[in-house]
Amino acid sequence: MINPANGMISTSSAAANAQSPGLKTYFKTPEGRYKLHYEKTHPSGLLHYAHGKTVTQVTIANLKDKPAPSTPPAPPSSFSASSGVRSAAARLLGTGNGSRALGFVGGNGGSKSLSGSSRIGSLGASSSSSSIINTNFDGKGTYIIFNVGDAIFISDLNSQDKDPIKSIHFSNSNPVCHAFDQDAKDGHDLLIGLNSGDVYSVSLRQQLQDVGKKLVGAHHYNKDGSVNNGRCASIAWVPGGDGAFVVAHADGNLYVYEKSKDGAGDSSFPVIKDQTQFSVAHARYSKSNPIARWHICQGPINSISFSTDGTHLATVGRDGYLRVFDYSKEQLICGGKSYYGALLCCAWSMDGKYILTGGEDDLVQVWSMEDRKVVAWGEGHNSWVSGVAFDSYWSSPNSDGTGETVMYRFGSVGQDTRLLLWDLEMDEIVVPLRRGPPGGSPTFSTGSQSAHWDNVPVGTLQPAPSMRDVPKLSPLVAHRIHTEPLSGVIFTQESVLTVCREGHIKIWMRPGFAESQSSNNSETLLSTSSKEKPLLSSKVGSSSYRQ
Amino acid sequence: MGAAGSKLEKALGDQFPEGERYFGLENFGNTCYCNSVLQALYFCVPFREQLLDYYANNKNIGDAEENLLTCLADLFTQISSQKKKTGVIAPKRFVQRLKKQNELFRSYMHQDAHEFLNFLLNELVDILEKETQAAKSDPETSSPTEKTANGPKNGQLNGVRKEPLVTWVHTNFQGILTNETKCLRCETVTARDETFFDLSLDIEQNSSITSCLKNFSSTETLNAEDKFFCDKCCSLQEAQKRMKIKKPPHILVIHLKRFKYIEQLGRYKKLSYRVVFPLELKLSNTVEDADIEYSLFAVVVHVGSGPNHGHYVSLVKSHNHWLFFDDENVEMIDESAVQTFFGSAQEYSSNTDHGYILFYESLGASNKS
Repeated sequence: MINPANGMISTSSAAANAQSPGLKTYFKTPEGRYKLHYEKTHPSGLLHYAHGKTVTQVTIANLKDKPAPSTPPAPPSSFSASSGVRSAAARLLGTGNGSRALGFVGGNGGSKSLSGSSRIGSLGASSSSSSIINTNFDGKGTYIIFNVGDAIFISDLNSQDKDPIKSIHFSNSNPVCHAFDQDAKDGHDLLIGLNSGDVYSVSLRQQLQDVGKKLVGAHHYNKDGSVNNGRCASIAWVPGGDGAFVVAHADGNLYVYEKSKDGAGDSSFPVIKDQTQFSVAHARYSKSNPIARWHICQGPINSISFSTDGTHLATVGRDGYLRVFDYSKEQLICGGKSYYGALLCCAWSMDGKYILTGGEDDLVQVWSMEDRKVVAWGEGHNSWVSGVAFDSYWSSPNSDGTGETVMYRFGSVGQDTRLLLWDLEMDEIVVPLRRGPPGGSPTFSTGSQSAHWDNVPVGTLQPAPSMRDVPKLSPLVAHRIHTEPLSGVIFTQESVLTVCREGHIKIWMRPGFAESQSSNNSETLLSTSSKEKPLLSSKVGSSSYRQ
Repeated sequence: MGAAGSKLEKALGDQFPEGERYFGLENFGNTCYCNSVLQALYFCVPFREQLLDYYANNKNIGDAEENLLTCLADLFTQISSQKKKTGVIAPKRFVQRLKKQNELFRSYMHQDAHEFLNFLLNELVDILEKETQAAKSDPETSSPTEKTANGPKNGQLNGVRKEPLVTWVHTNFQGILTNETKCLRCETVTARDETFFDLSLDIEQNSSITSCLKNFSSTETLNAEDKFFCDKCCSLQEAQKRMKIKKPPHILVIHLKRFKYIEQLGRYKKLSYRVVFPLELKLSNTVEDADIEYSLFAVVVHVGSGPNHGHYVSLVKSHNHWLFFDDENVEMIDESAVQTFFGSAQEYSSNTDHGYILFYESLGASNKS
């Protein structure tokens, strides 16, 4: 009858694709094997509660010595740096938290994680035990912050412990997004956004030192959703913004806060006249938070990302549009629509030239800031693309040559439970012959030089490109690495970190790192610690008697 | 029931779309398969309007005998002409007629919603065709069903001279697939067209509809026991076969094959796979890169862990609001709630509500050029 086609297509083997029990503990790439190094998770009892309600996101926090931002590498000047550390430690002790801080040190098995490490070798003759105490006392190290259900969990990135060292429970709503600023000037470096729209800023160090299961010393913004009760979708510190941060909500609005200002302000903003248009409104009183509201789009904003230098802000949302703003000018510069469906994630290249987006069309999209358009579509995911990131530590094998072909490496993860790695070599991407505007001659353009956008006014959003107009990329490798749909990917100097929606995190060591790193210490810890460690150990080591 | 209705009215407030009616349908013992599909069809606006138009124009034709078409039209008219904005209606006549018409649906057993949809659409076409033939023999009454938007290519490509009748059911739901077979010896490509009212897709764990559609159109090699008889070579040959969409339908109905016969078990099993479906969709497996955008407006959801029992509900988008229809209950839901019906990433999960039939409507504008 009408439906004959359907009967004939029943040959494909869907059943064969059922969950394969064993996932591999490595994946191969042209440069070698990435090996599963650590897994991080959370108490399993939470799973049923969290299922389907929240999606786990991960933030990496590198806690440095204080004051951290400008530590010169030369030995003499590191004296001052370390004395800074000491005074910070003293300050902490003096606040009345001292005993608890030390309790934290003991409780987390600090000595275990450091004993016999290569770092101590590099310290030379100093007493090893004293350096251990100090490090943990200070909470220094690299941490993973992730949300599951009604809790925020904190794990030590460089320990083999699967379980988190700290959990913070929220009674009012579920935490859904977070951000860390490792150059924060005063104590508050961690932002947490909730499902209810509430936002907190806290000091990560202070949370680590506290033994309780509640947030301590927090500033509370948008209390009970007083300014905006839409779910927090994404939160970010403004790079170099002197304590300014932005929160994107599910109703298409983004708010700018300054942590130096009062959390419980009473900012009010005028009614949005045209829901379809971008508009910025500033708070009437300069002392209250939030200081500004950006109405970006109708419907949820799903993710935001600042360029490394903080000049540009990219947003993606339910309406499928990528929007790029000049942050300080509060201006929409450019943007464009997905092939179809919502966009779910976005990320900048280190040099600010490209933006990756991923979404419900299963495509990884490469947006060029120079061309102000999509220059490539990555095809290879079998489901929605939920996380994208450039590998800023990647250096292409032939980059020492003329330097004309810049190759970028990036990764993407999707709800197909897979990690895909891609190479982007802009010279190889040639936009196919286009039918230009009526009357215009067909033009052949490459990704690096194009004049198409010259006549496009600033702030114009491009419609969805046609399938045949966008060059396609194929993934370098594609590996199924989790059993659950993935929600994020992060590249660090020595590893790739992947996380699934349900809150299981895997850390994959880069080729070359996995072999040499049998101990718990990673390169970042080595590099930060080797500068200051000798002095620290001798000076602040006085607390070692407590061990 | 009345309370649920007023609750919905309260929820919509002054956003209640003018002239729209949201009515639950009473269940007559396992008739949720029927109710869920009827709601999806009711909120398929072009279909509803054309059915009501047709009914208005043909009502007086000598009080024709009752059939599924008249029963469906009656039901839709009954809903749309209610004074109240919300409430419950008993689709009694329709269900009785359905049971009379097809013994498959006569029992009180759990039925397959997709089978019902398929049966209903084909039945409607049969009735319309019969009426047209009757009208042709009686030239006095001209039927509005005659050749509406009969694509010029259709007749010839099917290789049949007799022009197929295109009813308003066809203009809404019918698409054309082309089945291309390439003989690997002489490289001749044989194309055979077939029409469809819906696409039945094999599904995989943790995949998307986009990916399932790609697999649907992936190239398949015919060899060994399954060779292709090439007319040019006059013998069985190895060949490559693929299925593409030649004419995308206005209303794209996608059926997920969640009920699979497992040979080892000797019975059907429900696949609870997580298959994500976007609220907007474009077809990549078309003959021409048409880039036609579709928008999701209804989902028939199967609730339950097995194929022989369970429940059907539907999600419907009407005037930019999402509604949840569960027999007589109607509730407003958030758009983001749609994603709780994707399925389970793990085989054993407490979540048993799975999208089963998806209804997408073409947004019309194709960005060609």
